[in-house]
Amino acid sequence: MNSKNVFSRKATLSLKMSEFEVPPMQDLLVIGRKAPIGPEAVRRMAEALSPEQFTIIKIEHPKVEAVLIRNSLLQMLDKEVLISIVLEEAERLINDTMVIRSELKIEVSVKREVELL
Amino acid sequence: MKVKEMMSSPVITVSSDKSVLHAAELMDELRIGSLAVTEHKEIMGIITSRDARKAHPNRIVADAMTPDPITVAADSFGWDALQVMEEKGIERLLITENDQVVGLVTRDTVRVRLSELLDPLSGLFRPGYIQTIVEELMSNRQNFYLLFIDLNNFGKINKQYGHPIGDDVIKGFSERIRSLTMPDEFICRYAGDEFVIVSLREEDEIKKLVQALSDPFVISGVQVTSSVGVVKGSGDPAFLSLSFREIVSRASLASSTLKKIQPIAAKFANFSEN
Repeated sequence: MNSKNVFSRKATLSLKMSEFEVPPMQDLLVIGRKAPIGPEAVRRMAEALSPEQFTIIKIEHPKVEAVLIRNSLLQMLDKEVLISIVLEEAERLINDTMVIRSELKIEVSVKREVELL
Repeated sequence: MKVKEMMSSPVITVSSDKSVLHAAELMDELRIGSLAVTEHKEIMGIITSRDARKAHPNRIVADAMTPDPITVAADSFGWDALQVMEEKGIERLLITENDQVVGLVTRDTVRVRLSELLDPLSGLFRPGYIQTIVEELMSNRQNFYLLFIDLNNFGKINKQYGHPIGDDVIKGFSERIRSLTMPDEFICRYAGDEFVIVSLREEDEIKKLVQALSDPFVISGVQVTSSVGVVKGSGDPAFLSLSFREIVSRASLASSTLKKIQPIAAKFANFSEN
């Protein structure tokens, strides 16, 4: 009896598309000391994608090497205040090999009283 | 000995935007321990194999290098380069000539090369070191004093107490010279019981140094005295025409003359007298 092998090779493609957000890093990135991407590379990436919109801040911290932050946030709040809040929250999540992306919105509410004429 | 005689050249470079993995592979392939990091043809830092091991291989070289590397001129002396590396706590120096990086030295290389100039008994440099210093000072027309120190009756000490005690005397006297000189003075063991100091101090200070060197001193229970011959080096053309050998000869003759007439003092040789 003749046996004949029959082969069939097929590939199935699945394509998912979504809009690439520019910039992809939202408002800030917290960069771990052993992360696969370092502060200079992040700075260059941010500069290429959104020129003059982000600042990299090097940090003295056991796990965090630097924070990339949107300049507009630095105009609204003092750098030291902002960094200390970010670090306080991030250090609970981060290990030194990670890069954390974060969205940060600042809402300012003002209430004033004026004398009526 | 100048750093250009010890440096490795040319310096292998890597672009700051290359990956740490690329840099590590390049060092491995070339069997070298470091690369100069460039950006737009400017040197930005140094990455060593140790830096590469510590950093994630995906990082760019700019994120793993040591930035703002320290440089010294190719004409610098090895001992000056070593001092810079020790003060800054670094292992490597880039060598420049006419504002161009021409080589790289490591602390170990400089140490090994300088150890070739060291006298093993006293731990002081050998005469080649002082010759380099004197020739450099003369080429810069700088004033200096060369002191030739000869231990008195060293032969008798060896005969009376034995050579091991003689060796102790050499070691002890070398320590004494070290303790009496400043860090910016240059000292060597010239030969058996002869030492040379080159100093930039003023004459009054030199007289004090000579007096201190001439004072009797006890080493391993042996009283040691020395005779010191001094030559003043200047930018005078007559002096500049002398060779190192002639300068040492004059200082040595001054100390020998002194031994005969005045055991504990110094004689200043006037080079124009001879």
